[in-house]
Amino acid sequence: MSETIVIEDLTKYYGKFLALDKLSLRVEEYENVGLLGPNGAGKSTTLKILCGLLKASSGTAYIGDINVAQKPEQALSRIGAIVETPEFYSFLTPVETLSYLGRLRGMQGESLRNRINEVIELVRLEEWAKVKIEKFSRGMKQRLALAQSLLHDPPVLILDEPALGLDPRGVVEFRQIIEEAGTKKTVFFASHQLTEVTQICNQVAIIDRGKLLAYDSVDELEKKYQSLEHAYLELTGGSFD
Amino acid sequence: MIEFEKLKIVTGYEFLKHIRRKRLWIILGLTLIAELVVLILFPVLMDGYPKNVMIMAIMLTIGPAFATFGAIFFAGDAIAGEFENKTGYILFTNPVRRTTLVIGKYLACYAAVILLVIFGYVIVSISLLVIYGNIPFETLKSFGLCLLYVGGVLSVTFFFSSVSKGAMGATVITLVFIMVIFGILESVLMMADKPVWFLLSTAGDSMMYVYGGFELLLEGIVPSGSTGMMPFAFETPDIGLCAYAMVGYIIVGFVLSVWISKRRQLA
Repeated sequence: MSETIVIEDLTKYYGKFLALDKLSLRVEEYENVGLLGPNGAGKSTTLKILCGLLKASSGTAYIGDINVAQKPEQALSRIGAIVETPEFYSFLTPVETLSYLGRLRGMQGESLRNRINEVIELVRLEEWAKVKIEKFSRGMKQRLALAQSLLHDPPVLILDEPALGLDPRGVVEFRQIIEEAGTKKTVFFASHQLTEVTQICNQVAIIDRGKLLAYDSVDELEKKYQSLEHAYLELTGGSFD
Repeated sequence: MIEFEKLKIVTGYEFLKHIRRKRLWIILGLTLIAELVVLILFPVLMDGYPKNVMIMAIMLTIGPAFATFGAIFFAGDAIAGEFENKTGYILFTNPVRRTTLVIGKYLACYAAVILLVIFGYVIVSISLLVIYGNIPFETLKSFGLCLLYVGGVLSVTFFFSSVSKGAMGATVITLVFIMVIFGILESVLMMADKPVWFLLSTAGDSMMYVYGGFELLLEGIVPSGSTGMMPFAFETPDIGLCAYAMVGYIIVGFVLSVWISKRRQLA
C-alpha cells in the first residue's frame, strides 16, 4: 500500500503562537485515520494546510506524491473536504451549488447531473434540492457539505468535525456514509467525539499543542490504555476526576 | 481542464449572484429615480429644459454616475466575503487558482455594473432624443469614460476587499477613500492651483466634462454661468489624462488585489 497523506515536520505559527510543532504523520491508502485532540491542539490547522487554505511556516504536506504548497490545484483535485463549518452561497440551491463545484472539477453534462442526484439522495436532501440555501439550517448545510465532498468521488476525504450541527439521526446517517466511503477511500478525520472516531476509523492520531502524542490503531491504543478515552485523557493531560 | 474554462464557470456563477441579489435591482431603481428627478424638476424649477442639449446631457449623466456606485456595493464583499462568511472553505478547496477566482469575480462585477450603466445611458439617450431630437456623439465618449471609471472603482474596491477582514469594512473604506479622501485632496489641490486629473473621482467626472468642460457644467447649475462664486479657479482636466489615470487605477488596483488574494490564508 502507498502513502496517501504524508506530513513531514509541519510547523505553523500564528504570529508568535505555535500551532503545529514539527508534526509528522503518514496515512496509507484506504486507511481511515481519526485526528483527536483538545481545542487548540492543531487539528484544524493540519487539515487546512492539507487543503491549501493555510501555508505552513515550515515542513511539507503531500497528497499522494504531490506537494500541497507547490501544486495546490493538483493536490486539491484528489481531495474532498469539509473544513470547519463551511457556508454556501445563499443565492444558490443545492443542485446549483453542486453543479458549480462539479463543473469547476471538470464534471459536466448527464454524468454530472446523475452524480448530483446520487449525492443529494445519499445525504437525504432530495426535498430541498431546488430550494435556496438561505433557508437552510446548520444541519442541512452540513449535509450539503458532505455531498460536495463526495461529489467528484475523490480518493481522499479530509473532514473537520463534519457531524457538527447534525441532529442524532443525521449523525448516525453521516457515520454510515463515511464508513461506506471509507472502504474505498482514505479518510482523514478530525473530531472531538471519541465514539464517532472508534466507529469510523481504524487508526487514531492524538495531538496536543501541535505535537503528535500517539499514532496507532484503535485496538492497540485500547490495549495499552484500557480504552481510547483513557488514552486520550492520559496523553492530553486530562483526568476522570 | 484548462483554467480559461474554469474562469468562464466562475464568472457565470458570480454574475448569477449579482442578478439574484437585491442590491442590483435597488441601484437600478435609484438610477431611474435620479434620472426622473432631473427630467421632472429641471423644467419645473428652471422654466423649461436648457436650450443647449449638452447641458441637459451633463445633468442626465448623474444617472449613470450613480449607477457606478454599484461597483463598490458589488465588489466590497467579492474577496472579503469569502473569508468573512466562510464560503471560502468550500470554494478554495477546489482545484482552481485564486487568480482565476479573482478575475472571474472581477469580470462578473464589471458585467453587472455595465448593465446598470447601460440602463442609465439608455435613459439619457431616449430623453435627449425625445426632448432635443438628437443624441450628441459625446454621449458615446461619456459612456466609454464611464466604463473606465467603473473599472477604476472596481479595482480600488477589489484592493480594499482583498485586505479587509469584512465586506462592510471594504465597502465603507472604498466609499470614504473615493468620496471623502479624494474629495478633500481635490479641493486642496485646486486651491493650490495644482492638477487634479490623477484623482479617481476627478477623472470619473470626465464623463460629464466630455460634453463641454466644467464651465458648461456650471452653466447647467447656475443660470448666469458665473464662476465668480467659486473660491478658486477651476480648469477642466484634460480628458485624455483622466482616461489614462483611470486605466492606471484599473491595472494597479486589480494587480494588487490578485497578488494579495493569492497570499491570503483562511485561518
